[in-house]
Amino acid sequence: MPNKSSKPVITRRDFLKTGSYVAAGSLVGLPLLHRASAQTAAKSRVVLIRDRSAVDENGRVNGPVLESMLDQAVVAMLDAPDAASAWRRLFGPDDVVGIKTNAWFRLPTPEALETALVFRLGQAGVKSGSIAVDDRGIRDNPVFMRSTALINVRPMRTHHWSGLGTLLKNYIMFVSAPWSYHGNACERLGAIWQKPQVAGKTRLNILVMLTPLFHGIGPHHFSRRYVWPYAGLIVSTDPVAADATGARIIEAKRKAFFDDQRPISPPPLHIAAADTRFGLGNSNADRIELLRLGWGEQILI
Amino acid sequence: MTAQQMNPYGRHRTPAPQLFGLLAGALMIAMTAMTHAASVADLQPKLPTRVSGWQAEGEDRTFDDRTIFGYIDGAGEVYRAYNMRACLSRRFAKDGQTDITLDVFDMGSPEDAFGVFTHDTDGERVDIGQDARYRPGWLSFWQNRFFVSIYLDEESAAAELAVKELGKQVAAAAGKPGKRPSILGLLPAAGLEAGAIRFLHHPIVLNYHYYLFDQNILLLSPRTDAALASYRRGGEQARLLLISYPQARTAREALAGFHRHYLPDAGSSGFARLENGKWSAARQRDRMLTIVLEADSRRFAENLLMEAERNASGE
Repeated sequence: MPNKSSKPVITRRDFLKTGSYVAAGSLVGLPLLHRASAQTAAKSRVVLIRDRSAVDENGRVNGPVLESMLDQAVVAMLDAPDAASAWRRLFGPDDVVGIKTNAWFRLPTPEALETALVFRLGQAGVKSGSIAVDDRGIRDNPVFMRSTALINVRPMRTHHWSGLGTLLKNYIMFVSAPWSYHGNACERLGAIWQKPQVAGKTRLNILVMLTPLFHGIGPHHFSRRYVWPYAGLIVSTDPVAADATGARIIEAKRKAFFDDQRPISPPPLHIAAADTRFGLGNSNADRIELLRLGWGEQILI
Repeated sequence: MTAQQMNPYGRHRTPAPQLFGLLAGALMIAMTAMTHAASVADLQPKLPTRVSGWQAEGEDRTFDDRTIFGYIDGAGEVYRAYNMRACLSRRFAKDGQTDITLDVFDMGSPEDAFGVFTHDTDGERVDIGQDARYRPGWLSFWQNRFFVSIYLDEESAAAELAVKELGKQVAAAAGKPGKRPSILGLLPAAGLEAGAIRFLHHPIVLNYHYYLFDQNILLLSPRTDAALASYRRGGEQARLLLISYPQARTAREALAGFHRHYLPDAGSSGFARLENGKWSAARQRDRMLTIVLEADSRRFAENLLMEAERNASGE
């Protein structure tokens, strides 16, 4: 277990030393400067798949296209011969699967994606009574309470207090006092993933990049002006690598959109901390094997 | 005159010898509360129910500093960081038009209403309340002890006009203007970018605007007032942070932490050149800590420190 008591102080100067704070706008992975490197030895595979027809200009999702993207991503992630075998490799008849979705009404997990996941689990042999899709009720949901496996699926967005609403952050509803993880830009979110109800259960992470929110305004932290049809999914077994990849796309979008330097603020420290403090995966790009599939225009990474 | 004598920075900060000042301040606050809307409950009946054809729809909703998370998710932390007391939300609807959401935050004091307003000062300055900004889809302003947000689900010219009219009516109902934080008066005036000042208490809010430490090395708390400001003089730029602590001892500890973790290379002069070529330095006097975070030249940093100290001493 990482040592939490002797945590060294990370300062702005650590970022300035690498020229990365304002110059590149990137904070993902930088706390490696001071800390032990990730506990994950191997590179993490991340699949970024895009299809320009997955979402229209009004944000409406094309369900069949999305389902096909999901299958292609899972096949590529596992080097499987086809979708059916890929899903069977991930889940089986004995599994009880909680699909942790995100219900934030301004940018929820698309229903079409939830439906596709339930369907694929059924095809993999998981019984219908052993599958649940939930967000805010997961702590009382009987399927989640006896789950053997989890799927983590949510849209990427900027967030007032954590910098980014990520896959790592999506599990905050597993704890009874979410606000107790809000300190230092929610840096300790990785600790939630070590709790018994979560640890070791997540077999699939899907960061929805169909219409990501790259900047927020006001108490409601949302404006249609700051979403764009990126039309992508990021899929991985490593939530840290998936989030770090998504964060780089958001950073790149902000850099392209704003005339001035506007790094994600507050910096999404929880992504690097999930790597270096909690050993949940890889946040540094050089430890991520990124497979790009589909539409390549304005891919930003 | 010392900085302590000169500046009763906040609600809990005046030492015993300044009891008279404290009592006078308390009396002023009490009088203010009697003459102005004292809470969102007092303000609620004065708020408009109809504006430019938009009609209030459904029941008003109110939230406290815990239930606010159920309304605006993680953004609730920003308002809690400014000691939010309550939030009243009213929705306006009009056939064929986007909905308008009015959120009135009672911040407990004009200082904190100003502070939370400075959290986001992007946008066009408009003449509503004590200071206001309009960006497409969102109007924000402060008046008295209230921070007000008026939000559009979809942008349209008609809705923008309605939002501004609604803002004017809410500002008029919110009572007389409140005082800005006293610490702002210590900021050197020359070259100050007045529209970009941030007033804050919380380390995460500081990090939001200027990332400094991943821990609370500066010992910020609800009982500290801090002002973060930007300067431009003769082609040079700088960032200045002033912090007023409840006790001089806390200010000393914060300075020691800053030197230990941020400027260990400062040496006896107190100045250090950062990795990006800019200059940083810090000084503490009584309950005040003054930090030049980044200045384009050492001379600029020295001048800012000197001017801030002069303001604090009342010279």
